[in-house]
Amino acid sequence: MGAVNSIQDRNSSSSFLKENRVTLLEVLDRALTKGVVISGDIVISLADVDLIYVGLKLLVSSVETMERLRGAPMSGNREEPT
Amino acid sequence: MAMYVYGIIDSNDKIDAFVTGLDGVGVYNIPYRDIGALASDLDTPVRDTDEERVLEHETVLEKMIECFTVLPMRFLTVFNEKNNVISMLNEHYNDFREDLDRLHDKTEFGIKVIWPGAVIREKIANAYSKAQVSVPSPDDSPGKSFVKKKFETYKINKEFEEEADRRIAVIDNFFNRNVCEKKLERLKTENMLLNASYLVDNEKQNDFKKAFEEMRAFAGDLKYLFSGPWPPYNFVTKTNTRHDRE
Amino acid sequence: MSKIVETNAIDAFFEETEKLQKALPKKIDANPQNVEAGLAKLVLTLIELIRKLMEKQAMRRVEAGSLSEEEIERIGETLMKLENKMKELKGVFGVKDEELNINLGPLGDLM
Repeated sequence: MGAVNSIQDRNSSSSFLKENRVTLLEVLDRALTKGVVISGDIVISLADVDLIYVGLKLLVSSVETMERLRGAPMSGNREEPT
Repeated sequence: MAMYVYGIIDSNDKIDAFVTGLDGVGVYNIPYRDIGALASDLDTPVRDTDEERVLEHETVLEKMIECFTVLPMRFLTVFNEKNNVISMLNEHYNDFREDLDRLHDKTEFGIKVIWPGAVIREKIANAYSKAQVSVPSPDDSPGKSFVKKKFETYKINKEFEEEADRRIAVIDNFFNRNVCEKKLERLKTENMLLNASYLVDNEKQNDFKKAFEEMRAFAGDLKYLFSGPWPPYNFVTKTNTRHDRE
Repeated sequence: MSKIVETNAIDAFFEETEKLQKALPKKIDANPQNVEAGLAKLVLTLIELIRKLMEKQAMRRVEAGSLSEEEIERIGETLMKLENKMKELKGVFGVKDEELNINLGPLGDLM
């Protein structure tokens, strides 16, 4: 894009850029958050919703790991955190 | 060689490469009974933040809605092989078929409206403090003054949201007769009064656009954004489905 | 791409859609540190949701006039403690208010 000289040019090109940006965000909003959702074979990304599944699994597996390392299941006789 | 899937169409025709998709590769149809999955071969990895690829995804769908009813897939639906796509189509056939029938000859449009949220909130806050019922006093205990403060915010918010609902109802009223389905979102941000998606029968598109012009004339100082035609992202019912392969 | 986007206020929409961009799914790194931070955010978001719901419920009861003076006093103190505790937790985990807004799909934005 060449140098913009007149104020008018600058305004209309910035308007043009803003329109492009707004249009892009309209597309992104639909294509990234709506539509048919089928998790395919290759999980390339984790959407915010998927993080919950990962989070819960992580939580469960980390508790199990801790129990293993301590050699006993965690009982209810711990001190309540204040 | 993976397969990128763009959407589901109501056709089992062999469509070959009259549209190109991601990586400039030809899009084809994977048929199953009387529907099909639009796909293309995917060689290179795709990041979920790849905006250019999202645009390519969208371009394919927009060309396709000119000829078919399309259920658009969310961006980045990829399968390892054709059989997996077919078993996916088999598993969800009934839902896809229902959606395709429901969305046949219909188009999605978007209308966003901006209002002066901060100004309106201030007006409500001023009116509230003028009509002050429970005036905070220095004798109040901390618990009580906390409640009073929170209550004031609560009342102002409530009035603000009710005002938004009133204005949205007026706006939406312009379109009711001309739409099949709608999705209205109120106050996505303080200034984004309305984010609406409307599903319009193709035959009523002109009426819908006329209704929009009427609304514009009526709305005066409101700011609007009209977008479309879109593939019906907001009106497919199959969402958040985990494809059970395990 | 032949998309019609028509507006009478491009600047206003540019400003608002930039704000909304924060609501789009973010890239999540799979490295362990970030997954933990993500988990902290998730837990705090859920706690914050419950806290805000409790606050709202309390306000509804105040509005309905169904609370005695002592009840209002007790609720006020409890809500105050909860709010302070949340501020503390956010500080501990280095999480800002804007970050505690996860889109839970069909439940929509929580707050």
